[in-house]
Amino acid sequence: MSEPILELRNATIQFGGLVAVDNVSFEIQKGELFGLIGPNGAGKTTCFNMVTGVYKPTGGDIIFKGQRINGIPPFKVAKLGIARTFQNIRLFGALSVLENVVIGGFLRNRTNIFSSLGYMPGAIKETERLRENAMALLEVMDLADEAHGRSSDLPYGKQRRLEIARAMATQPDLLLLDEPAAGMNPQESEDLMNTVRKLRDDFGKTVLLIEHDMKFVMNLCERMVVLDHGEEIARGVPAEIRNHPEVIKAYLGEAC
Amino acid sequence: MIDPLSLTAGLDATALPQQLLNGLMFGAIYALVALGYTMVYGVLKLINFAHGEVFMIGAYTALFVSWQMGYFQGASGLTRATNPGILILMLITAMVVCGFLGVLIERFAYRPMRKQPRIASLITAIGVSMLLQYGGALVLPVSPPRSILEQVNPYDGNLSIPLKPRDGELNAAFAKAKEAEAAAKATLEQRIKQEGVSSEFDLSDEGKQIRSASQSAAQATRDAENKYLASGMSLNIPYGQGIMFLATLALMGLLTYLVMFTKTGRQMRAVAHDFDSASLMGINVDKIVTITFIIGSSLAGAGAMMCATFLGTQLTSFVGVPWGVKAFVAAVLGGIGNIPGAVLGGLLIGVAETMVVWAGGSQYKDAIAFVILILVLLVKPGGLLGSAKVEKV
Amino acid sequence: MKFWAIRVGSILLAVLVSYGIGMVAQGSSGTVSRLIALAGLYVTLAVSLNLINGITGQFSIGHAAFYQVGSYTAAFLASQLLARGTINNLGTPIPWVLAAVGIAIVTSGIAGFLIGLPSLRLRGDYLAIVTLGFGEILRIIIQNTPQLGGSYGINSPKAFVVPYVWMLAFLCIGACRNLLQTAHGLSFLSVREDEVASGAMGVNVTRVKVAAFVLGSAFAGAAGALLTFNEGFINVNSFTMDVSFIILTMVVLGGTGSITGSIIAALALFTLPEFLRDAPPMPLNAVLGTLAGVALLVGTIRLALDQKKLGRDFLTPKTYMGFGIAAVGGVIVSILANFLPALANRTIPSAELRMVIFSAVLVIMMLLRPQGIFGHREFGLGSIFKRAQA
Repeated sequence: MSEPILELRNATIQFGGLVAVDNVSFEIQKGELFGLIGPNGAGKTTCFNMVTGVYKPTGGDIIFKGQRINGIPPFKVAKLGIARTFQNIRLFGALSVLENVVIGGFLRNRTNIFSSLGYMPGAIKETERLRENAMALLEVMDLADEAHGRSSDLPYGKQRRLEIARAMATQPDLLLLDEPAAGMNPQESEDLMNTVRKLRDDFGKTVLLIEHDMKFVMNLCERMVVLDHGEEIARGVPAEIRNHPEVIKAYLGEAC
Repeated sequence: MIDPLSLTAGLDATALPQQLLNGLMFGAIYALVALGYTMVYGVLKLINFAHGEVFMIGAYTALFVSWQMGYFQGASGLTRATNPGILILMLITAMVVCGFLGVLIERFAYRPMRKQPRIASLITAIGVSMLLQYGGALVLPVSPPRSILEQVNPYDGNLSIPLKPRDGELNAAFAKAKEAEAAAKATLEQRIKQEGVSSEFDLSDEGKQIRSASQSAAQATRDAENKYLASGMSLNIPYGQGIMFLATLALMGLLTYLVMFTKTGRQMRAVAHDFDSASLMGINVDKIVTITFIIGSSLAGAGAMMCATFLGTQLTSFVGVPWGVKAFVAAVLGGIGNIPGAVLGGLLIGVAETMVVWAGGSQYKDAIAFVILILVLLVKPGGLLGSAKVEKV
Repeated sequence: MKFWAIRVGSILLAVLVSYGIGMVAQGSSGTVSRLIALAGLYVTLAVSLNLINGITGQFSIGHAAFYQVGSYTAAFLASQLLARGTINNLGTPIPWVLAAVGIAIVTSGIAGFLIGLPSLRLRGDYLAIVTLGFGEILRIIIQNTPQLGGSYGINSPKAFVVPYVWMLAFLCIGACRNLLQTAHGLSFLSVREDEVASGAMGVNVTRVKVAAFVLGSAFAGAAGALLTFNEGFINVNSFTMDVSFIILTMVVLGGTGSITGSIIAALALFTLPEFLRDAPPMPLNAVLGTLAGVALLVGTIRLALDQKKLGRDFLTPKTYMGFGIAAVGGVIVSILANFLPALANRTIPSAELRMVIFSAVLVIMMLLRPQGIFGHREFGLGSIFKRAQA
């Protein structure tokens, strides 16, 4: 097997006395659609926050493309090629849809601030290029018609798509989606599923996603890890997870 | 050899306990005013810039009441008051007027802005504050240097607590020096009588000698006296300031009881915790905000009355600015929105300011509050007792 | 080719307009000339604070501190040059003025850097009080430094700087406008909108914040240096908290984040008190009555606006009644005021009145239009056309 794109080795994080993520290890191969599931409070989003540098793990390692990235600040993690969306949507609300995506592309900007202050040809060209890239991404995410509207005016489902577009604009190798289908109706999540597949198939992205909608995960993800109370309780392909006794217990409780 | 004491010559160590005590008294007033900032901030997340002006109005109210009762400069037959009734009247009037003013400001300037961005409310607060300052300058007189006459306060004198008795030997030396001075003076007077000219014009050598001997003897007496006085230590608390301090503590106790153990206090804490959820839970948030403003503003009124009466600050319509700013610093220092924090911050700033003056840096007195604030915030971004909110991602 | 033509053309235009304003100033009285210069300085101050506050979302309320750093840098340099005999009391030659401005940019930029650093850890009101405290500490230190004139102040030979003041204003406006046209500017806006998300998108939040502080304070410092040469004498009273608040008010009143809003609010708020300075003295009771009447009127309009939002009519009988109450209330207050012995038959000079009116207008504006005159929008010929088409 080739070198995994992302690897968690005994990753642990403690907040005071609370161990939010306890010795979690898994690896994701390039081009995989990988699921991270578990009941509320299982530590999934905390895992995301560790990987993207929002929190520094108190133990273990996080390795991205062979490089240890523990405690690297978020903006550097993004530059290395990990982009994410947020569980509670965090768009730049007052800015337009297009501008949101342009900001996603900004980290590959090659001009300095003085060039921008002086509105030099370099800065103009660069901004133009980012704008075109952003527009192309909006086409892919089916948002091109709303490009110039205020992003906070978008309906919920489209805001989630916009977050993905913005993350894609950073040109990541690994895309972390935090509950991308939350609050969507069946039709919207069906569309989203196709879009995520397209991101992998056509753009070669690796996707790690958190999701509560079982149908969504089971249909989309090829492998998954199940967390409960910060610990891994199962891993495998969807068919294995579906019938795993620990998983059923975690989700439905002891009685069942 | 260097005398180690000479290095601290400017710092009179014997005055330290007294200075600490004075600092606490100043700090208590800062704390009272800071409580108003912190309570309003806790509930509305608004820096009530007009709070300093509420303080100003409170001080003027106390002044006017004292004038009404006949205690103004130049009044004939002014004697010291015999009962504390006037003080109590001044305190209550100041608290009521300020509470009312606070409610007015909240109702007409802040409530319409509640759904607006916070910076807009802040600018409104600054506007109200400037309006009261400059508007006040039009109608309010500049008070005499000691604004409220000391005679209002029936409790004259000091409570003196001896900490260390004075040195007996030094006392003997002082007595000796006094004798020597008297002797030198007698010689001088005799000489004046003898010559029949006043001593300044006595230009003979002998005359000069006698004169300088008398002068140096007087100097020696003064030195001996100082040495004797400095050998002991005592704390002097003017009765008025002592009462002020106790009243401040009582008000703080009352506030703690109100916030922690009453239904209104519980609602207040709920609103501070989450404004929207509290209103969904059936709490009448408008009522709670009004109560908060009444309490916070009347505390400022109480602080202002005590400040004007016992510290004798001169009043102008801008007097609220330094008090307001420092009380605000105190609130932030303790962790804004945190009630014990405001008290701690206020006391700390009061003590720090008197310490700076004691150390001979009186010209830097107004800067020390900010210096402490910046240093503390760099280490604890949420203030001493506050916790910096960690944003949930 | 066309790009450079426009570029050179617009720079030339800005320079020409600046010189034009300078010529007008030279042709008018000393007072008017001074006001023309101050207006330009306030435009620079408001726009540069807008960069920190409106565009990057950092709650800085002590902008006068950077203004002060620049001003004192220039004054100190001028006093040194004067002591060495390099310049004389008749005036500072322009090359020296520009050199002083350059050094002032550096010192105030450093000050901005130092204040920008806490902004990495402090948020919102905590940052606000630190920026305010920095200005107060600076003021007290200067008051106790004899080399800087102490509390008396410091003299420096004057120079005619009106054209440079306006060039600086245009430069500041241009730089901010340019920034907002590019992806860089969007990264500043993203920090204002959501720090966590912009960090996750690869925006170096630290660098953006510090850059905003350094740029904003460097412009304020340059303005301060020009103030020194325009006035010929400065002391700490030109940089009090009130000055900071007035600059902040200009930004908020114009609409946070809107450059054009800042410019117009700066000009309006600056000229308002200056006009009032020359107004005739007014009877006190009339002033109080007017204030009360206006307050009631504003309350009525505010309530009516809220009604309108709920879909009801703006002008209902109640609204008319409110207008009536406002008028009658104003008259009653002015009559009552004459009954109070302390207030009766007093007139007040307009100089004392102007700050009252200034703050009253401020409160009224905020109550009626809390989002600022322009909100987040920019105002220009382009947007007028767009509206006309729509």
